Amino acid sequence: MAETDDLPRDPVIEAYKKDVDRTLIRENLRRTPEERLRNLFALQRAAEELRRAGREARRR
Amino acid sequence: MDLDIAYSRETDNLRRLASVLAPFQPYPRGAPPGLPFLWDAETLRRGLNFTLTTTLGDIDVLGEISGGGTYEDLLPHTFVVRVFGVECRCLGLRRLIQVKRAAGRPKDFEVVAELEAILEERGGEGVEPS
Repeated sequence: MAETDDLPRDPVIEAYKKDVDRTLIRENLRRTPEERLRNLFALQRAAEELRRAGREARRR
Repeated sequence: MDLDIAYSRETDNLRRLASVLAPFQPYPRGAPPGLPFLWDAETLRRGLNFTLTTTLGDIDVLGEISGGGTYEDLLPHTFVVRVFGVECRCLGLRRLIQVKRAAGRPKDFEVVAELEAILEERGGEGVEPS
């Protein structure tokens, strides 16, 4: 990131940044805020369903 | 995932906030069930930051944010976005990064890295078009 006074470069954060999936970010930035939220809700529902299925499988 | 809400501590707003969340059964997150927790304006007045479970999901109701200050302090760094027909005031990206950095919590490092990557992808522009 271009260093600015309000956000000086932080080496720890820079290290973490190498693992950020920028293709996903670019894809999301093309969407409207509402579309992004809808996707987030869908992802949450899927995660919840996976957790539920996992619990179910462990009970059997 | 939770939703963070910074709120004004003006008396009228405490009443509004208490009444708007009450139908969703707010209760302190992680607390044992059955505590005599009463969600009302007086509880809000006596406390500051509340981490809650509700029937809508987890919500943090924050009178002050570490590194960011109060609702009034944050206000100049916000923008309005319309989602699902409702206008929401959100903290701008640059200020959000500053606040998360100031909190200095290791669990936020990954999030800050992602937020900074978003800022870079936007060419340094930290405010969403409203």
